[in-house]
Amino acid sequence: MSGKESFPAPGTFVLALIFLVVFIAVYFLNLKYLGSVWEVR
Amino acid sequence: MAEQGFRTCSVTGLKVHLPAERLIKANAVTAIIFIAIGGAAALLAALTRWPAVHLLGPEWFYRVLTAHGFDMLIVWIIFFEIAALYLGSAVLLSVRIAAPLVGWVAYILMLGGAVLVNIMVLAGKSDVLFTSYPPLMAHPLFYLGVILFAVGALIGVALFFATLYKARKEKTYTHQSFPLVTFGLFAAACIAVTTLLHGAGIYIPTLLWSLGIIHDIDPSAYRLVWWGLGHSSQQINVTAMISVWYLIGALSVGMKPINEKLCRTAFVLYILFIDVASEHHLLVDPVFGNAHKIWNTGYVMHLAVLASMIHALAVPAGIEVALRKQGYTKGLFEWFKMAPWGNPAFSATVWSIFIFGFLAGITGVVFGNEQINMTAHNTWRITGHFHATVVGGTTIAFMGVTYYILPLIFRRQIWALSLARIQPWLYGIGITMLSASMMLAGAYGIPRRHWDIANFGGSPFAFAWDPTVYIWLGVFGIAALLAVAGGIIYVAVSAGTLLWGKKVE
Repeated sequence: MSGKESFPAPGTFVLALIFLVVFIAVYFLNLKYLGSVWEVR
Repeated sequence: MAEQGFRTCSVTGLKVHLPAERLIKANAVTAIIFIAIGGAAALLAALTRWPAVHLLGPEWFYRVLTAHGFDMLIVWIIFFEIAALYLGSAVLLSVRIAAPLVGWVAYILMLGGAVLVNIMVLAGKSDVLFTSYPPLMAHPLFYLGVILFAVGALIGVALFFATLYKARKEKTYTHQSFPLVTFGLFAAACIAVTTLLHGAGIYIPTLLWSLGIIHDIDPSAYRLVWWGLGHSSQQINVTAMISVWYLIGALSVGMKPINEKLCRTAFVLYILFIDVASEHHLLVDPVFGNAHKIWNTGYVMHLAVLASMIHALAVPAGIEVALRKQGYTKGLFEWFKMAPWGNPAFSATVWSIFIFGFLAGITGVVFGNEQINMTAHNTWRITGHFHATVVGGTTIAFMGVTYYILPLIFRRQIWALSLARIQPWLYGIGITMLSASMMLAGAYGIPRRHWDIANFGGSPFAFAWDPTVYIWLGVFGIAALLAVAGGIIYVAVSAGTLLWGKKVE
């Protein structure tokens, strides 16, 4: 069986990667915002 | 000849126990009546929080906000879930419902409780908001109404368990275990037991307090136990919503999960860990230690998040595999393009998955972070998050499954199908914009509950917002109108189907 056949949902995999990128971006932006209002001296 | 007390569904071939069918109908119709009431309250609250309109004065604003919270977060959803429990047990397992009379007792208690709470709120005797935090005190009948509702729901859940036991004993299904949808509803019912016990556990002493029998309620203890009801009730929703995703996936495209064992394991993770998610409401409470807060929300809660991520990928993957089997194999996304978008149940499910994953899920994890929570707590960011979860996730999914319940249980063809087709889009776009604008305005510090955010009710301490806030508040107002329009269409299509829909035999 080839590798392509063993992976039945490539479109969903791409959607999952998009989700991951958005997740990281939102987490980063929130921490950046927190850093701007809650300064560590 | 059909077995006595049963009919055979011409579409699914399932044997439907008629007393169970009557209970499903009663609970589903009542749910839709309460979404209409809660939706009217939502419109009034939104038109007040939209500074360009600012419709109501403070008294009526807090009154309709209390009714909106209770009717939408508790009454609409739990009535619908009880209908789903009877569907997932008696109908999907082709078994007699264990004790129909008990189901009617549960229904009457829930209905009586819901009506009592609404009367006490609208009569102006319980302006305590959905959370009813002490020292705010409502009329004793308000607390009694909540207790009656919780006890009724608990009886409904017990009836579900009894029906599952009956199906197992009589071997009415061929699988080794319950079908995945029923298994998911079983997980939802397990969470419901702990949730409703928390409800009884906090509202019974609060009732005694309102009657003057107990003199003090510790606000911190109240918050801890109350959120075992307040947030966990949303975890029942999440679990039931995911069961609905699997059901609609199977009915609309013939979906089967790629790895059913993994999906079942994810439901077990919910039962074990999702209740601790309630603790993120207490992240700014001074009473609990950091170790307690971080253990619950920084570690354990993520096991439930893992479960959500498994489901949110398993369902689209299952749909993709099913559609590829139908021949839509070109490129990465032909299956997505060719999916049955004209089926309102399917499009509602896709909206539910999208909003629950991208808006609700991500922000839930981020805001559940103790440090970020310090800036997000009690701002509109939280309100935006839970509207994405409960409305964008659960309510849209339940609206979607209604388009199957109407022909399969009520045996009526959908009335005004073209309207039904646009309904999930209108509602989905409205709720996406509404949640996002709430979160963006909240990031500027817009408070969660205040009636007059522009002027703070003429407070002597003037505060000037960054003008950008008003853009997001304007977007919020328009989004609320879109979502309400989608809600009106849902209620109108459901009512129209019951009144004028062609009979299906």
